[in-house]
Amino acid sequence: MKAHAIKCSCHSVSKTFIQKETQAIHVLKDIDLDVRENEFLVLLGPGQSGKSTLLRIIAGLEQPSTGEVKLNGKAVSGPGPDRSMVFQTYSLFPWRTVRANVEMGLKFQGISKEERRVIGQKFIDLVGLNGFESSFPHQLSGGMKQRVGIARAYANSPEVLLLDEPFGQLDAQTRYLMEQEVLRIWAMEKRTVLFVTNNIDEALYLGDRIVIMEGKLPGQIQTIHENPLPRPREHDALPFLKLRKKISDLTQLTL
Amino acid sequence: MDTNSSLTPDTACVAENTPSFFDVCKDYLIRFHFLSFLSIALVLTFWHIISVYKIFGGTFLPTPWAIIKEIWRLTGESLIGKNLFGHLWASLRRVFIGWSLACAVAIPLGVFMAFNDVVRAIVKPIFDLFKPMPPISWVSLSILWFGLGEESKIFIIIIGSFVPCLINAFNSIQLVDPAFYDAARMLGANRRQQIMEVAFFGSISAIFAGLQISLSLAWSCVLAAELVGGRSGIGFLIILGMNQYKPAMIIAGMVVIALTAWLITFLMGHIEKLVCPWKRDIKV
Repeated sequence: MKAHAIKCSCHSVSKTFIQKETQAIHVLKDIDLDVRENEFLVLLGPGQSGKSTLLRIIAGLEQPSTGEVKLNGKAVSGPGPDRSMVFQTYSLFPWRTVRANVEMGLKFQGISKEERRVIGQKFIDLVGLNGFESSFPHQLSGGMKQRVGIARAYANSPEVLLLDEPFGQLDAQTRYLMEQEVLRIWAMEKRTVLFVTNNIDEALYLGDRIVIMEGKLPGQIQTIHENPLPRPREHDALPFLKLRKKISDLTQLTL
Repeated sequence: MDTNSSLTPDTACVAENTPSFFDVCKDYLIRFHFLSFLSIALVLTFWHIISVYKIFGGTFLPTPWAIIKEIWRLTGESLIGKNLFGHLWASLRRVFIGWSLACAVAIPLGVFMAFNDVVRAIVKPIFDLFKPMPPISWVSLSILWFGLGEESKIFIIIIGSFVPCLINAFNSIQLVDPAFYDAARMLGANRRQQIMEVAFFGSISAIFAGLQISLSLAWSCVLAAELVGGRSGIGFLIILGMNQYKPAMIIAGMVVIALTAWLITFLMGHIEKLVCPWKRDIKV
């Protein structure tokens, strides 16, 4: 069945950082992971579990110490237009307006100004930032900044979207709203999504599958859970709470 | 109030919990400027009293009012072929020539140092060696080398403004948040695009701060150079005032120096807002 086609895979990926030339820190150990096409995969783990590093390796921003990452069957050696990333710290260019930030990836690829404008506007509208095209990032609230981040990632028309704790800096209300938004956008523009979080509720609300990382270094995959709850999900529905209990028993995460 | 409407910012400002521009102005005026005016008035009064009761003896400290009259006199009177504005222009011209030459070399060099380990390894030790020497200590040498003309003064200004310009250019490239490079790489930027977009825009406002610092340093250097030898410039006016026992002329020169420095800072601040429009309404 096509829904289970493998989009992206990690083969015994390990990562060791060398600190001060002598001290080795093993951040990831033997990660094997298959990401299915168009699924919403959540990497769940506490801080310091290597989940962000794994995402950065898949992105191509870091090289694995051993093992390899494959995308569509081809080994990944660096960042590429087939993957886009949304950062926890937004990383919007403060010197560019919302519109220019969204169009930046297209500009780097040498796409003409007219075409950029059309594609950029489509995703600005999609994330609900119509009317803020000429604002600078510092004029926006956190939630709106991350909307720009999502639009910027989508505008490059990637096959895989990587979201690294994108709502970690938002307050609880805005966070919940943005979770709904990210599902709405994903439903309209289906992509393979890898979403890193340390929040069980967020993982259960969003993910088709949830990858639970061990709570200590070196980061390893503890278990992978299918999340069969039908969408739209309710945070206070009984099946949701039961699954939440099951997963929180498996982890030390109390959030 | 109907004045409120004219003060509405033209860009959509949706930041949370930001007080309006009008509130900030009002707050500022009441709390700070009132006190500032009061303190300046007190200093001037104190100065006036010292002057009138001749606490420093004779006429060596003229009253504030006498200084204003002296500045007015100097604008009309020709001293060695130039009035006050002529001398001011002579100083400013030297500063702009020396400072632009220094920046033209220091900024590219600082940027290269930040990007290239080899350039850094070669340039940094030389630079560290010269850095602690105060520019003014070069005055005597520069007069021996270049004489009393323009060249020696411009040389001092170059020495004085080169260092802060280079330090700032170097630091501002190094201090660009690496997360911006990651973002640019994820968006598909090649090396050249990363430099043009991230390094350039990420550092420009800090480089501009360096330009401002080096310009004010250049301004103090030119005065030092003119004090030692010269036939024109504000520094020369001060020396002339000393030789002719005219304290009012000395202080008038000092006041003009301060006013000019303030005006330069003010202008540079406005140029920065034009160059870096994204910093327009960031409140410090």
